[in-house]
Amino acid sequence: MARVLSVLGTLLRGLVQCACIVMLTFLLCRVMPGDVVDVLGLEGGLTAEQQAQMRHDLGLDQPLAVQFGDWVTHAVAGDFGRSIRFDRPVMDMLATAVPVTLRLTVLSFAFGLTLALVLALAATARPSRLFDVLIDGVNIWSIAVPTFCAGVIAILVFSIWLGWLPVIGGLLAPVLIIGLDNAGQIVKQLREELKEAVTLPHVRTARAKGLSPWRVSVFHVMPATMGVVLALSGLVLGSLVAGSLTMEVLFALPGLGSLTLNAIHGRDYPVILAAVTLISVSLVLINTTMDVLHRLVDPRLA
Amino acid sequence: MSARPIAMMPAGRRASFLRRHCPAGICLPAAIVLLLAAAGLAAPWLTAHSPLDQDLLQLNKGPGAGFPLGTDHLGRDILSRLLYGARSTLAVSALGTVIAFAAGAGLGLLALTLGHWAERILFAAIDLIRALPGTLLALLLIVGLGSGSGPLTIALGVSFVPVVAYVTRAAYHREAARDYVLAAASFGGNGLHILSRHILPNIAGTLITQAAIILPRCIVTESVLSFLGVGSSPDAPTWGRMIADSSRFIERAPHAIMAPLVTLVLLTLSLSLLGNQLRRRFDPIRQETDVPGPAADPAPAAVRPVEAGGC
Repeated sequence: MARVLSVLGTLLRGLVQCACIVMLTFLLCRVMPGDVVDVLGLEGGLTAEQQAQMRHDLGLDQPLAVQFGDWVTHAVAGDFGRSIRFDRPVMDMLATAVPVTLRLTVLSFAFGLTLALVLALAATARPSRLFDVLIDGVNIWSIAVPTFCAGVIAILVFSIWLGWLPVIGGLLAPVLIIGLDNAGQIVKQLREELKEAVTLPHVRTARAKGLSPWRVSVFHVMPATMGVVLALSGLVLGSLVAGSLTMEVLFALPGLGSLTLNAIHGRDYPVILAAVTLISVSLVLINTTMDVLHRLVDPRLA
Repeated sequence: MSARPIAMMPAGRRASFLRRHCPAGICLPAAIVLLLAAAGLAAPWLTAHSPLDQDLLQLNKGPGAGFPLGTDHLGRDILSRLLYGARSTLAVSALGTVIAFAAGAGLGLLALTLGHWAERILFAAIDLIRALPGTLLALLLIVGLGSGSGPLTIALGVSFVPVVAYVTRAAYHREAARDYVLAAASFGGNGLHILSRHILPNIAGTLITQAAIILPRCIVTESVLSFLGVGSSPDAPTWGRMIADSSRFIERAPHAIMAPLVTLVLLTLSLSLLGNQLRRRFDPIRQETDVPGPAADPAPAAVRPVEAGGC
């Protein structure tokens, strides 16, 4: 019963989080100095009356609360309005951008998590100087070298000096860079957790029963650290978003990051709002799922 | 605080004193950071060129006489842009860190002292924005506040408030559970007295360490934002902007991109190494121990506060 309640509480918190972020984004988009009418007016030389007419047509002269309610009721039905810059439904723009970002982030995440797990498991199974140096190296790399710098270095070395990769369009370089960055952020903590888990009483019991090291690590050590792996995975999501933002810009990938950034530069707030809503809602969703899974997996958490 | 030896060294053993208190792992990064900060401060006296002046006859020139680090695609002196960039990056990031601590640690401690309900309310509020990654939050804040170094600094600071608040709370609870705090409370000490005389001195090390960890991340976020072209005017000399601008001419003028890139990586690397050293000295609980045996932190690993990711 307590467990059901705590899961419900987590879900509820996720929902409130989503609502708050959407409201915050909406507010920030509206208070930003110079709205889209100003930008278009400056470029197209519109008169004051034309601008006022345009504001009225776009509903910008309504009170904020009314605008927000309007937007929410449409958004729930899957209608995010039209892009002011490109005069296309925002939904269409999202539909073309999301698969690109999804492919990039899922692949990067998988690579990063695998790399971190392999390094941490190897260092726990056979402690050696080599693995320690590797783990420290990956960790320091992720702290000191921002992904966009790594991207620039990759372009310079691999596609200009060595002529290996095509400069734009390829997913390989961005995936490796973001993955390495993610791995570096969690590998140290993961190693510590595994090291700690090996000393747990139930692991000692399992070993005392005469189970093979393989069985011990898969059935006894891993479940005890599953929660941590989940928590750390949730932690990486933020940097995954930031990383894909810069990588998409640098490698000219037409994903959600490029879309958001272009919208910010063009003051195209229906697009900003929709993109940020999509990103934050999916993040909250993933985090909440992780949290719930964590509570279900780890019996120590009620 | 316990790691510092109390006994004074004999005056005649300066070399060993230096080696013990300032090994290469601390000295080298500290020297790099100080050098960059000094170079940024002294920028007007170190270069003859303005970071904005364009010499259209000298586009994408390699390092040579007149321009020690060459020129970029608009014929601007890279060295002076680098130095002025150091100035703005360091100023914005340092101020951002101060804001993050003033808001995160200040509000956090206030709420923690006020009691259970204040704590719950504050952290519930922080939780609401914590779902947004720091970079995205900073980006949105700049959208709302407008560009310029003021909004940029505020956006940077606010985006790190959740991390700082969580670390502060963890450190506070760790100390508040100790017997001496209990003793002070049983003698009738009020919340403010216990906070300022008992808890604050004991968590100061953790907070300072955290500041040293946040600062390089602020620098990285700042450079990411300026790389993306938000937060500063298009011709302002910032490292991220220099890298973004020069990336279109990467084949013809790799030097224009390498200069800011190497400097940025060197600075963040040095600062994080320093942060690690600080952590080892002042923050024995959260340090990555090589000591075998049970961990010092009794909380189940998953409940432990985890630092949010950078970029």
